[in-house]
Amino acid sequence: MVVVRSVTMADLPGLLALVKGAGIGLTTLPDNPALLESRIAASIASQAGTAERADEQWLFVMEDIENARIVGVCGVAGFVGLRDPWYSYRVGTVVHASRELGIFTRTPTLFLSNDHTGATELCSLLLDATYRVGRNGALLSKSRFLFLAEFRQRFARKVIAELRGVSDASGHSPFWESLGRHFFSMDFAEADYLTGIGKKSFVAELMPKHPLYSSFLSPEAQAVIGETHELTRPARRLLEQEGFRFEGHVDIFDAGPALECELDDIDAVKKSSRAVVAGIVDDDADASSAPSLVANTSIQDFRVGLGRLRLDGEAVHISTSLAAALRVNVGDAVRIVALSPADRSGADARAREASTATARAS
Amino acid sequence: MIATPNSMFVLRPAEMADLPQIETIAARSAIGITSLPPDQQRLIEKISSSRYAFSSEVDIPGEETYFFVLENTSTGEIIGTSGIAASAGFHDRFYSYRNEIIVHASQELRVSNKIHALHLCHDLTGFSLLTSFYIDPQFAESAMPQLLSRARLLYIAEHRRRFADKLAAENPGVCDAEGRSPFWDAVGRRFFNMEYPQAEQLSGGRSKTFIAELMPQYPIYVPLLPPAAQLAIGQLHPDGELPFSILIDEGFEPDIYIDIFDGGPTVEARVDTLRSIRQQRRLPARVYTSSQTEGAMKPNDGNATMLQALVSNTRADRFRATLATVRIAGDEAHIEADVAAAIDVADGEALRVVALEIAPGAD
Repeated sequence: MVVVRSVTMADLPGLLALVKGAGIGLTTLPDNPALLESRIAASIASQAGTAERADEQWLFVMEDIENARIVGVCGVAGFVGLRDPWYSYRVGTVVHASRELGIFTRTPTLFLSNDHTGATELCSLLLDATYRVGRNGALLSKSRFLFLAEFRQRFARKVIAELRGVSDASGHSPFWESLGRHFFSMDFAEADYLTGIGKKSFVAELMPKHPLYSSFLSPEAQAVIGETHELTRPARRLLEQEGFRFEGHVDIFDAGPALECELDDIDAVKKSSRAVVAGIVDDDADASSAPSLVANTSIQDFRVGLGRLRLDGEAVHISTSLAAALRVNVGDAVRIVALSPADRSGADARAREASTATARAS
Repeated sequence: MIATPNSMFVLRPAEMADLPQIETIAARSAIGITSLPPDQQRLIEKISSSRYAFSSEVDIPGEETYFFVLENTSTGEIIGTSGIAASAGFHDRFYSYRNEIIVHASQELRVSNKIHALHLCHDLTGFSLLTSFYIDPQFAESAMPQLLSRARLLYIAEHRRRFADKLAAENPGVCDAEGRSPFWDAVGRRFFNMEYPQAEQLSGGRSKTFIAELMPQYPIYVPLLPPAAQLAIGQLHPDGELPFSILIDEGFEPDIYIDIFDGGPTVEARVDTLRSIRQQRRLPARVYTSSQTEGAMKPNDGNATMLQALVSNTRADRFRATLATVRIAGDEAHIEADVAAAIDVADGEALRVVALEIAPGAD
């Protein structure tokens, strides 16, 4: 059984081993022990409530309980860009038109922006390759939504997630080659590493400040603006199912998309609910029900697992192993939501369809 | 055709009677001299607006355009043209790209990069523009190009109120044998999707502003342009070498502005810093007949200097300039009677004179 839980300092060796196998593109988790240690420390300070708001960040690890092994990691940054500026390119359009000359040219542009300053960021998602099976990926990524739902007053209204852009097997990003390289004579991997160790704003300060005409970039670079790396496409689909959308902001280095959603509009946040553990049973409480995310309500030792539940009003029965993984007993509060949006409360789904229909009609 | 010893070449305002010859020149001149269009109607307008400019009382520079021709007075043949537009982009804007260096530096990362960028600007709006330079190739090696180009500066020196305190001149950028400009292909074409001559034709001979408004308004980062376009920035078309070098010798600055369409260098300078302006003198004329010449026009007089010089009258309308031997004695300019007749100066009247050879050390 796997559980997603708040990180502790004891996880450092396991975390380091995990990121060593990851390769380029995981900007926020560089292969750097000192930096990982400081990330863990910052997370612990946030759990304890001793971090300043601008520094709040939360790291969660996925543990294979039987093997006592760290197999995944994910994170949430409370408010980005309040210490160092947060940069992204906004994809825009400039029209050059002359009725007299019969000219109408639509030119895509890139504007350097700090638009996402103060947003909450989903970050640092990484799952060991051998564990990319079953529902592990969904559990790891979506566990954070229960955290956001449980502690929503700690987060911004807007939630973003930057997804890895397109690069080839050797780590060459066509966007970087066509743009960043001209302004900063280093490889994408190095820029990415500097970003990960907290120097992104330094790198950004070397990047072009004026709006760019995308048509001046190579065709290969133009083609990957807002495109997701092949390996990250499942993560993108997963976020999109929860309501996240690409609203035209891309990473300044690899042009990977930033997906956005209002916190209260995230489907898993909206549909999650509190329940009380009414009973602990040997097996899945109701093997016929859809798998659900279940989380405890502790900010210091937050834990999320998957189980099939029997929910009766606000009373829920969960399995012994899940209760152990979550460290909950009968009488404790939990937060639950069906793992798949399709399995979530029918009433809400109907409401959603109705509101979509209204939106279309208006 | 070739100048005989008796030939005299005089620069003067263009007249409508010159139209047939000017049309021939316009048809011959290279693509890129947009101020000399091979279009009869536009040439007629150009001559008549020039006639109006020369004959008007002008207190401040406006929409006047002055158009000069260089005539071989013994044959009536026109061997060159030049012009001045009093105020670039009058009533509107005059667009250029300004070369800029943006320093991208990070102390933390110990990196400092200088990035070359082109900034669309209106800096040269209101400058007086030197335009329309064309010389018959047979005279390219002679002193005639100097007369054609620099006599304009004598006119400006005499009539400062008609012109701005700063001058600029556009120069043709590089293009290949088919007239394709690598700069246009990399920049303008992205916004027009057509050949430059076609875009120009479409604009119907209206000011370039019309086209400029369709050009990219944000700075262009030069490293993002293809190599051929980068090389074309500030690069002169070989056909433009002669007039360009005359302006550079005068002290024009070539490195700041480029043409927004073909990337050719647009030179600029303050009038007061130009060598011909600084070295020219306004002196009363002493006119000598041939018989007097025997005694008075000899160079071996300790107080006098014999000069090969550009010399002009000081009239606004019936302006004339030529190349002649002038004897500067004290505060007088001694000229032969035929020179005086050619530039329409009477004994005792003021003239402007500047040595043909610019003395670089003298300023």
